[in-house]
Amino acid sequence: MIDVQNLHKSFKTKTGLVQAVRGVSFTAHDGEITGLLGPNGAGKTTTLRMLYTLMSPDQGTVSVDGIDIQKDATAVRQRLGVLPDARGVYKRLSARENIAYFGELHGLDAATIASRTAKLAETLGMEDFLDRRTEGFSQGQRTKTAIARALIHDPKNVILDEPTNGLDVMTTRGLRNFLLQLRAEGRCVIFSSHIMQEVAALCDRIVVIAGGEVKAIGTPDELRARAGEENLEDAFVQLIGSDEGLHA
Amino acid sequence: MKTPSLKISVFATFMTVFRKELRDFARDRRTFLMALLLGPLVYPLLMLGMGKLMEARVSTQLEKPLEIPIIGAAYAPNLVAWLETQDIRAKPAPKDLVAAIRNQDEDVALVIAPNFGEEWRAGRPAKVEVVADTTRSNADVPIERLRGALNAYSGQVGALRLVARGVNPALTQSVAVTQRDVATPEAKQGRLMSIILPLILVLFAFMGGANLTMDVTAGERERQSLEPLLATPVSRGVLVSGKMAAAGLIGIASVILTLLSFKLSAAMSTSAMASSLDVSFPAIGRMLLVLAPLVLIGTALLTFISAGSKSMKEAQSHMVWLMFMPMLPGYALMAYPLKDQDLWQYAVPFLSQNQMLVKASRGENASPEQWAIYLVCAIALAAALWLAAIWRYRQEKLAISS
Repeated sequence: MIDVQNLHKSFKTKTGLVQAVRGVSFTAHDGEITGLLGPNGAGKTTTLRMLYTLMSPDQGTVSVDGIDIQKDATAVRQRLGVLPDARGVYKRLSARENIAYFGELHGLDAATIASRTAKLAETLGMEDFLDRRTEGFSQGQRTKTAIARALIHDPKNVILDEPTNGLDVMTTRGLRNFLLQLRAEGRCVIFSSHIMQEVAALCDRIVVIAGGEVKAIGTPDELRARAGEENLEDAFVQLIGSDEGLHA
Repeated sequence: MKTPSLKISVFATFMTVFRKELRDFARDRRTFLMALLLGPLVYPLLMLGMGKLMEARVSTQLEKPLEIPIIGAAYAPNLVAWLETQDIRAKPAPKDLVAAIRNQDEDVALVIAPNFGEEWRAGRPAKVEVVADTTRSNADVPIERLRGALNAYSGQVGALRLVARGVNPALTQSVAVTQRDVATPEAKQGRLMSIILPLILVLFAFMGGANLTMDVTAGERERQSLEPLLATPVSRGVLVSGKMAAAGLIGIASVILTLLSFKLSAAMSTSAMASSLDVSFPAIGRMLLVLAPLVLIGTALLTFISAGSKSMKEAQSHMVWLMFMPMLPGYALMAYPLKDQDLWQYAVPFLSQNQMLVKASRGENASPEQWAIYLVCAIALAAALWLAAIWRYRQEKLAISS
């Protein structure tokens, strides 16, 4: 379970102070998929980066399974599987070696790494390129490798930043099924997206973010009711106030 | 799913990072071989090549008959005939002698004054003029030869004149100045090497692992794999240290190979210059001990710089001034030569390595105080830079690649 309370984060830029995140709060439960929906530049990536301890919030708290990220960042990282916005892989290593490296960094032994890799490769459908060097991988193969290495330590909580970005239709479908499977295993899954259809199809709970603020939180039904729209996509547009930066 | 509570061993993680970076780098064949073998290959070429060139210069310029333009040769036929016995021959002078020398068409020329014969007979100093451009070092040997021949002639004739008048020529020398050079012949011949040898060794030690060092930080950030790495439970300090250790190992390996090739090429070279250098294993070992801290300094400094650069290109743009730094003491010492006794010199980076290496290659050993100051200062600097690199790795903006 991930609990987020009143997060704030601002950056200094040449044009002045930019408030990227302003008071974001939500709770993501185990066995549920929580979606962060918002246009590009809404503050989704910054929020997620604070969740996985890459950035520290100016204000507010985050706890993962009850552990405060500012008190014990290492314990939090052990409980998180993270697919960041940046998903570069080591091109001179094979997919298997890429995954094993992260397994070792998590302190796993070789046997555990081998069995977990085999399982993840089967679920993600990456057997035929597992032992190839990742140089020249397609976007989909790279993303699968990045997901496998993020989940090698069998984390209870999974955070994915725009996981379907740049993937073709078939790979996207496979990935959605994979997220549903993670949910079925009882994990706490958070992912961000600017694609309304994707969020509508997958999420148990949706956090609508725009301009660094939470515009609405709820199940798809609750959001529909709140916006007074039958169609969930219309409800999103209505809650955000514009459809700029969103994708059907 | 497990609830992780296991404490991950710091050393095991360090080794994981270290091994991964080495494996990754070793698979990049060309860069790997370049980093490892460039120094060891350049060194013998330089040493054998320079030895050959110096020998060639001496044998051609010193032993070959020298042909120089002489203006007014007719005024002093005896002098010209005497020069000929010294293998210095007259040839017709070009129209514009000064221009010819400036253009390096001629190295040196002799002008004999029209009243040479008159003055000679009167027993007054007869005037001859050596025309040369002393800033051209390739003319050094011919100028010296001509001047030496003229002085010898002058002395010889002068002495004969005194003898003819019944005077002992020794009377004209009130003080007999002789010089005793305490420099060993080895040290003399090693003078050129004393500038070049430390510079190249220092440069390779300092920058030898540069490519790997920059690649594992700035390159990793550019390829967008740093953010996932920083999201793992590994502490930043362990991560930087593992990466630096991998780069440092390559740097040290390259230095060892360079030193071995230095030993080998000195053994192969027939020139006096090479054979004058101390390449015994103790001397090589001392050089390695001097260079090892420098490898650490270079690796830590480059990691610090790379961690502040957004891309490989930005990190590489620092190479120009970094390459220049090891050369500074060499230039400074040319302008202002220092005695190598003062202890402060062994605390200054690059100057200290220079002084220590010169000592080692001359077959001398630094005093225990000099060693102590050198090692303490160099290792302290490396440690400070290492801490600075860790500090930069902890900065929030490091992880953000775009």
